[in-house]
Amino acid sequence: MDQANAPAPDPQATPPPSEPTDIWRWFDERFGRRQLLLKSGWAFFWMFLGGWLLSNLRYLFPNVLYEPTLSFKAGRPEDYPIGVSEKWKKSQRTWIVRKEDGFYCFWARCTHLGCTPNWFDAEGRFKCPCHGSNFNKDGDVVAGPAPKPLWRCAVQMADDGQLLIDKARLENRPGPREQGEFFLPFKSA
Amino acid sequence: MIDIKAYVKKTKLWKSIFRHDFSDTPRTRLLRVFGNVFLHLHPVRIAKDAIRVTYTWGLGGISFYLFLVLTVTGILLMFYYRPASILAYQDMKDLAFAVTLGGLLRNMHRWSAHLMVVAVIFHMVRVFLTGAYKPPREYNWVVGVLLLVMTLFLSYTGYLLPWDQLALWAVTVGAQMAANSPMLGNEGPFKLPFITASNDARFGLIGGTVIGDATLIRFYVLHCIAVPFIFAIFLCVHLWRVRKDSFSVQTGEKVDVWPHLVSRELLAAMLMTVILLVWSLLLNAPLESQANLNVTPNPSKAPWYFLGLQELLVYFDPWIAGVVLPTLIVVGLMAIPYVDINPKGVGTWPKMRLSRGGWVSVDRPFAVSVFMLGTIMWFVLIFIGQYCRGPNWEWYWPWEQWSHRRLTKLTLKNIPNLWGLALMGSYFLAGTPIPKPAKEKIASIAGPGGPAKFSAALHFGLGAAMAIALFMPILIAPDADYPMRSKYPTLFESLGRAINAPVVSAMYRLVQQAGPAAGYAVIAGLIAAVAGILGTLGMAFAKFKDQMYEQLGPVKYAIVMALFLMMMGVLGKIVLRLLFGIKYLFSLPMFNFNI
Repeated sequence: MDQANAPAPDPQATPPPSEPTDIWRWFDERFGRRQLLLKSGWAFFWMFLGGWLLSNLRYLFPNVLYEPTLSFKAGRPEDYPIGVSEKWKKSQRTWIVRKEDGFYCFWARCTHLGCTPNWFDAEGRFKCPCHGSNFNKDGDVVAGPAPKPLWRCAVQMADDGQLLIDKARLENRPGPREQGEFFLPFKSA
Repeated sequence: MIDIKAYVKKTKLWKSIFRHDFSDTPRTRLLRVFGNVFLHLHPVRIAKDAIRVTYTWGLGGISFYLFLVLTVTGILLMFYYRPASILAYQDMKDLAFAVTLGGLLRNMHRWSAHLMVVAVIFHMVRVFLTGAYKPPREYNWVVGVLLLVMTLFLSYTGYLLPWDQLALWAVTVGAQMAANSPMLGNEGPFKLPFITASNDARFGLIGGTVIGDATLIRFYVLHCIAVPFIFAIFLCVHLWRVRKDSFSVQTGEKVDVWPHLVSRELLAAMLMTVILLVWSLLLNAPLESQANLNVTPNPSKAPWYFLGLQELLVYFDPWIAGVVLPTLIVVGLMAIPYVDINPKGVGTWPKMRLSRGGWVSVDRPFAVSVFMLGTIMWFVLIFIGQYCRGPNWEWYWPWEQWSHRRLTKLTLKNIPNLWGLALMGSYFLAGTPIPKPAKEKIASIAGPGGPAKFSAALHFGLGAAMAIALFMPILIAPDADYPMRSKYPTLFESLGRAINAPVVSAMYRLVQQAGPAAGYAVIAGLIAAVAGILGTLGMAFAKFKDQMYEQLGPVKYAIVMALFLMMMGVLGKIVLRLLFGIKYLFSLPMFNFNI
């Protein structure tokens, strides 16, 4: 039929298909009855493949760790002079701090990216060699990029009169870190 | 003699291996290339200008050759190396002192790794500057960026294997960055409720809660098998796409690849081999004392190609410097060919001209300037890390003597959150363009001079907002680090005495010595000057921004502007840290969220 001779379409007679019908038809063509088996087959294929590959991520997380124990005995409290002791840094990665009224213990690990800081007595600061974080004697950040205070370890008195340090129990919030198992009251005779 | 040669060439054995003769005829030149599995990656003929040394500098080929050298030397080293923490360091010593040629092989492996990083970076810069990433080669640029990332990851994983102090602490820092990744890291912002130190991203990377044997075997497998395997796959794609997408230069007569290109490749490979051999004979690869998990060398420096990142970590929280910024750099690099719609400047080095703002490219002023600025910034950070940082990562000028007992009391302070938000907000708002419809609307309301006035008001307003949001809190805000004190000192007092806040301490001294009236007047002038400079900068780019918005459309413009502003923002944060002693602009400690 010639386009030019065709009568002008009457808008009343043939209403244009409404939008929802079109979307429904599109949906039916792509995911409808005819497509169900094929699409679900592929869906299961990819789900299985993806799940199988992803499950190997879990494989990379070991269930049993062969790591050194986190607690140790740090000798008799009377042997520590007042101040920061670097005695255990090399072997146990801790500083034991003796104040007038007792003991607390730092885990010698910078809260920025995990290097071991050094104690500088003249400035009264722990300074980290990797990115320059500085901590004061309380473990609070005074300079550098570290976001949090140093972690303190649990300090207890063992039955044989030695200090018992546990690096598995940590605290760094002002307040809680100065009490309970994180501070061992000790008065020299 | 000749008879034997002629006889051998007639044997079935010879003919089964070599399908063509070796006379220098056009036919054999072709046959040599497509009759050989190793050479058939080349086309048989190529445009003369595409193989000019001064166009490519052979950097891609050199990178590939170094990858081959690394594979061969690496395989040889594997015969003696055992990845266990009690053995690895001893095997290094054995390689250096007890194995014939062991030291040379290890030196070559290490130095070619360094050279490969250089070659890959320079290759990327070359491809950028000659516009060789433009359509239809966008995808190959993306693959190339992935290869760069993998080159760096190979260097990183290889770094742990000697099990010396250098290795251990570089990897400690690198692994700890994984613990700072958002949501999945134990120390990262917004960590998910079930994440602990024994199931977070760092744990998965190092195979435990502390670096040990599990980490060593993990990195060994990654370094020797897993990453090279993936690298080789992407390398195939990369080289294949170079052929399929055609070379970026098609000018000049066509010449035979054998001998014109193949000889150049051979020469480049020989040159690299000589450089590597001489370097490895003269200079031993570094090996520090055996790894000690408890004691860090002071200062502890990463290999040079990670020093930029290490220096960045000084200025930002680890999740930003260690996770967000590297991701943005990589994604931003990958996005370049998709947001750069300028078709000019393909196949030639950019022609530069001296303009008011300095040397700029004639055809691609923005692209070349911004890319080179980013690259130079990266190398400046590396320079600072290498030559300006001493014990305790404190600033030492290159000519200064290091001292482990230098008395320094550095101080850093946070700007209160709302001021910091205002500063960052007005900074990023400065990227807003004024699109044409908006201009027309303004002109219809305020007359023909309206848009210019509006633009001036916007930019100088934002400049003033930035200057005020920076200086006001320093002057008036209390120092939040001492919440227990009854009387708060202001940031001005605490930063004014800090040796690492030169601008603030100069302001403070001014007020102390010249008296408050004169001092604060000068400070007000300083704030106005900073506002004026920022506003003028904004005005200088206002027209350019609007043009760019017209050309790129909203989505591409937003991507380009966001990446550009973040890049300059890094520079800005470094300035705030070095000159003002400011630590965070925005900080939510309970979510580990700090900017």
